[in-house]
Formats: sequence, structure tokens, C-alpha cells
Amino acid sequence: MATTTATITLTSGDLTSDALALSTTATFTNAGGSNGLVGTTGLGRKKTGDTSQYILFDGDAYANGAHKVYLKNTSSTAAEYFTIEINSEQMGKLYAGDWCLFPWEANADTNDIKIQPSAANMVLEYMLFIDE
Amino acid sequence: MATTTASLTLSSSDLTSDSLSISATSTLYKAGTTIGLDQTTGLTKKVYATAQTNTVLVAASAYSDNGAHKLYIKNVGSSSTDAFSLEIDATGLNAACAVVPIGKLYGGDFLYLPWEGEYDIQITTTATDMELEYMIIYEA
Repeated sequence: MATTTATITLTSGDLTSDALALSTTATFTNAGGSNGLVGTTGLGRKKTGDTSQYILFDGDAYANGAHKVYLKNTSSTAAEYFTIEINSEQMGKLYAGDWCLFPWEANADTNDIKIQPSAANMVLEYMLFIDE
Repeated sequence: MATTTASLTLSSSDLTSDSLSISATSTLYKAGTTIGLDQTTGLTKKVYATAQTNTVLVAASAYSDNGAHKLYIKNVGSSSTDAFSLEIDATGLNAACAVVPIGKLYGGDFLYLPWEGEYDIQITTTATDMELEYMIIYEA
């Protein structure tokens, strides 16, 4: 059993009149249990040659579980983004420098996570923590 | 213009034989710009005394489409078995399923993701008396 933690910190001194300083830590555990996640893809880095959509994580390749997905757009050009889809529904756009972390069930073969870059030659970093 | 940052640290000394230590920090900007997001719901707490099924947590109609909104949600419970299922309401949009599951937040879990404000975010609970916190930082 492995112990993997994720800590998020959200800060702002001027978003509201009360300074924002939110921080929380989660430990990655299996679905409905307290065993640490033991599988991972490792931290990957993919350069997309063109703007075609591709499957980053195939729902058919993973069991229904408490997987965690980390993505980061390494671009520094503000207008460049990756569109993230899950089961062919658009979740959001990851603009330059943005990252995200979210749970993924992979509860159906169609529950793929798909990525589409807005420009050629963009680089995405990604990592999947797998509930095996 | 407000300056808001989101930082993440992923760490593990035993997940693989090479210790994991990832840090990422981003500044929250409006879509395609370097102008800071300037609106927020604040950190909101919701208590669900009864079990919920496909209940709207965040209504897309209240937010602009194609925005670079950021969504933070945390299951503030401590149960390893009780979870919030997070879903996209794809009614009328997805021929395969009206509700697209994203994943489950078990006790202590959080998510942080970009959200375009086009579809509602829904939750389904596995138990009664569950609590979550959420915050949206968004643009008009």
C-alpha cells in the first residue's frame, strides 16, 4: 500500500475584501476503502503535433474505481488551451499554465478522457493514479 | 483585477521506486487573457440531510458560456465509504447518457478543475447527512 497525498492551496489578497487562504490535503485511497492507491502511469509529457482530439485515458482500460487525474498545460501563451472531454462531454478548457486534479470513475467503456489542443505543438503533462 | 493563485503538491515516497514530488502553481486568468478572474461564490458549505440523486450543485445558467471558470469541491466528511458522485448534466446533449459521471469524492477528497459554464454540475450522494464545500472563481 502506498501513501500519496495531494495538497491544494488557493490564495488571493484582493479577490474579495477577506483574503483567501484555503489549503487542504487529501490522501489517495481506493473506492470505499482506506487502502492507498498503488498504480500510476507516472508523470507523462505529450507534445501534440496538430490540433486533433485524442484519447488520453481509455475508459475501457481501467476498472471502475477512485482514480485520480492530474493534467497541466505547460504552454505560456495565454490563448493556448487544451479542451478536456469526458464521455464526449466538454468539461472545460485548460489554459496556459493551468492544472487540474479530479477523480475519475472510468465506470463505462465510453468514459474516456479526451484532449484537444487549440494549437499545434502544445505540451501536456499528465498523470493517472490508478485504483487497481 | 484580482490576483488569485492555485497551487498543488503531489507527493509520495512509496508509490514508485522514484519518490514523487510534483508542484504546480497557476494564476487564474480569464479565458485566453492575462486578466485575473474577479468573481467568486466564496467558499460555500452545503449540508444534505437526505440522500440526493442528480441534484444540481452548480447551475450553468448562472455563469457565462466558454469561461475559464475554476471549480473547487471538497467532501468534508471523513467516511471512507460515503461519497459524492460528481456528474455533468448532459440531458439532450449526449445520446449515450443523460448524466455523465466524472468521479466520486470520498471523505476528505477534493477536486479542482476548469469549467466552461455550459453544463450543470450535479451530485449524487451515497448516504444521508453528507456535507461538501465548494467554490467557483469565475468571469462574467
